[in-house]
Amino acid sequence: MMGGTVRSRRRKALLLLLAPISLILGLFFLIPLGIVVVYSFLEPGLYGGVEWTWYPYNYGRILGWPLNAYEEFDPIYLAIFLNSLKFALLTVLFSLLICYPAAFWVSRMSQRRKSFVMFLITLPFFASLLIRIYAWLLLLRPTGFINTVLETLGVISQPLDMIFSGFAVVLGMVYIFTPFMFLPIYANVEKLDYQLLRASRDLGASPLDTFLRVILPLTAPGIMAGSIIVFIPALGNFIVPSFLGGSKVQMTGNLIERAFLQSRDWPFGAALALLIMASVLLVLMLYIMRSAPAHERGAT
Amino acid sequence: MKGRRYSAARLWNALFNGYGFLFLVFLYLPLGLIVVYSFNANPINMAVWTGFTFDWYATIFVGAGTEGNFDSAFTESPERLYGVVKNSFLVALSAASIATVIGTATAIALSRFNFLGKRFYQALLLLPMLVPDIVLGIALLIFFVGAGIHLGLTTIIIGHVTFLSSYVFVIVSARLAGIDTTLEKASADLGAGPLTTFRRVTLPQIMPGVVGGFLLAFIISLDDVVITYFIAGVGSQTLPLFILAMMRRGLRPQITALAVLILLFSLIVASIGLFLRNRKP
Amino acid sequence: MTTNINKGVSEMTRRHFRIAGAATAFAFFGQMATAEGQLNIYNWGDYINPEVLDAFSEEYGVEVTLDTYSTNEEMLARIQAGATGYDLVLPSVHMHDIMQQLGLLQPAYPNQMPGWENIDPAALRSMEDPDGDYCLPYAWGAVGILYNKTLIPELTSWDQFFAYARENPGKVSMLDDLRETLGVGLIMTGASVNSRDADEIAAAEAYILEQVPNIGAFRYDVIPLVTAGDIAAGHYYVGGVLNVLQSPELLGFVIPEEGATMYQEDLCLLATAPNVENARLFMEFMLRPEIAARNAERLTNGPVNLAANDLLPEELRSNPSINPSPEVRATLQIFEDMGSDLRLYTRAWDRIKTN
Repeated sequence: MMGGTVRSRRRKALLLLLAPISLILGLFFLIPLGIVVVYSFLEPGLYGGVEWTWYPYNYGRILGWPLNAYEEFDPIYLAIFLNSLKFALLTVLFSLLICYPAAFWVSRMSQRRKSFVMFLITLPFFASLLIRIYAWLLLLRPTGFINTVLETLGVISQPLDMIFSGFAVVLGMVYIFTPFMFLPIYANVEKLDYQLLRASRDLGASPLDTFLRVILPLTAPGIMAGSIIVFIPALGNFIVPSFLGGSKVQMTGNLIERAFLQSRDWPFGAALALLIMASVLLVLMLYIMRSAPAHERGAT
Repeated sequence: MKGRRYSAARLWNALFNGYGFLFLVFLYLPLGLIVVYSFNANPINMAVWTGFTFDWYATIFVGAGTEGNFDSAFTESPERLYGVVKNSFLVALSAASIATVIGTATAIALSRFNFLGKRFYQALLLLPMLVPDIVLGIALLIFFVGAGIHLGLTTIIIGHVTFLSSYVFVIVSARLAGIDTTLEKASADLGAGPLTTFRRVTLPQIMPGVVGGFLLAFIISLDDVVITYFIAGVGSQTLPLFILAMMRRGLRPQITALAVLILLFSLIVASIGLFLRNRKP
Repeated sequence: MTTNINKGVSEMTRRHFRIAGAATAFAFFGQMATAEGQLNIYNWGDYINPEVLDAFSEEYGVEVTLDTYSTNEEMLARIQAGATGYDLVLPSVHMHDIMQQLGLLQPAYPNQMPGWENIDPAALRSMEDPDGDYCLPYAWGAVGILYNKTLIPELTSWDQFFAYARENPGKVSMLDDLRETLGVGLIMTGASVNSRDADEIAAAEAYILEQVPNIGAFRYDVIPLVTAGDIAAGHYYVGGVLNVLQSPELLGFVIPEEGATMYQEDLCLLATAPNVENARLFMEFMLRPEIAARNAERLTNGPVNLAANDLLPEELRSNPSINPSPEVRATLQIFEDMGSDLRLYTRAWDRIKTN
């Protein structure tokens, strides 16, 4: 009888916990998503929007298939997608490299200093994103801040060509995604049991060994969480490439934006979007499959 | 031996602190530039320095002046600015709060319970983060209009909550994964109900994760451009939309002044928060 | 028993308060009912003089809200998906045609309003609306080149523009607009900017592709960059003349001699407009020469209202970019809607942007 009550209480608790998210995602996410899926199989309307006729050619176009007599086989869309992947991965890599040591730096501090520094770290992100991106433009331009300083110091004689390039795009994206990477890693690092580290050292492991065998595995959940949270929006981003990349660096996000807003080809944009989501979903499924057993074992 | 350990520790300290300093420089360089340029008297080209002035800040509160540089050609009225900022904060606060509650609840559900369809939920929760902003924005717009929901601040909040919950979920889950469940089990064994266990044992331990999730959700909502663009209604323009529209002609110092003011405001609020937190015994 | 009744009553009151509270919350968050004396304009960014809006507000006691968009297609996407609440929009002429065909507009009959006789008949370019039943012509302008005089003392042609780019790669920019930039390619290869011929478009694409390595960026935000000297010359709208007039030794604007594109916007009433009366009042207001002139001063665009043109200060009236001579006008081409042939351009543009 006691067991029954506990179980039903747990049941009720579970339902209560899951109800809000189910409602929100079911209604405002799955249904609109369904609309997008449907759109990707429809014919583009002449002036945007869609015609409600079956039209399977959108996906072929992505792979480069010519649509009609106007076009020839041209895998540019695939090339753009691979380019996006490249930039997204670079963004993840660099933001990881930047945020990981920083997380340790903060977690080593006393409680008071920790709060203060966390506050310092999150403060810049209360300023408008668009304005901060604009600030990078001011920094990286040929007559911008960095070049002016370097020229005044005599380090360079000609301004460095930094803006409107892949470099600027990665830099910009790393900058705006820093909190996305930092917070999960920090939440994980802060929970690190320093006794384990000390034990490892006492047992004679070198610092490198301790790092590779104790610290890294323990912080892996944070790293994975941060990487995923950064990778995905980086993949679909179009503001940074268009603003700091001078629109010369093309990513899938730019393609989708153009499909919807300039080319008036909504189904094509929808198909592109679905393709991105499908590929990322694949990666995620693999991650979940791998990490789930570890969870159930309760291992660290 | 002790001496070597000690100087090694000092070396690590120096390295970490040096790195931390560089990290902060990286974060604050663009910000510093914004602050500096908000005092630039040049209204046409913010990048070219012509003189120092507080006037841009003045125009935010007082409205356009009459002489050349500060006339209405280069400034927005205080009413318009205030309206836009108010919308942004209202939306961000509401959306972040709701998303934090929902995201935390879901994180607990998925990490402390085993049930049929758990894998499905895990995948489902990550889905909102996979969808490119622009597609979600248009899909939501079509949905809202089709369902007859009037566009306005509410629709923006709903749209934000939809994808913010996932972010909070991920952060709190990461935190939950790291804590020890024995305390919770002990609490349950001692007869405490799930709610009590949560309130007194789990929540304090995951609080940094929850707060981190809230902060992240708040920031994302405040800055969201693309999704907000499509689901905002007449007169419910937020600050990022406002700035985006302005970026075509080049950013004006008045707007950077506004950004600095918002930053100052956040500073004050965050300081109060910090102060209150440190006061706890 | 009494306690039960009391309980019931207080339950009901509590429920009512809760409902009332929720309702107030929704009302607060949700859209406020359109009041009398409101007008909602959906316009390009920086495309109307705020003084004009203030003057209208004061005279008629109408509260005006202004939302902005950056491209025709954005505006169309939003209106098509059903975003309601706007009264007036300002589509380019070809978009005006599209919207009329799609039934998104309603006639406002500006041609029956006082002051209509001042409108330049040449400004009635809409093919669907040749008599001005629907929309009021608003402003027109050419798209030329804004340049930095300290880097390029005098610029007169696209040839010179691209030659400079070849010698100084990365120091020029073009508009991030499919039709504008391909339009330049079409002009330079001798075709019409409204060509539907696959070969002509391919030739234009090849021309631009050749220049792409030397083009620094595709941007709209050109003025600060040219002023600072990061970019020596940028493809830009005639609205940049405002800046040229403020710094004539530093900046220059030119309509290239090979030809250029032009645009015109019309002020149109949406079919779903909630404040039709106020919208029509506003159109009448815009027809007044003094008001149109005040607007034109800020926009530095070409005149559609001839009486207003006469009221403009000399420097604007005689500016060859704002008010070009008939010979130059003859070289300007305005976009027509491409319909399904737009596909020809999109692939070309995608290729240009990828290289």
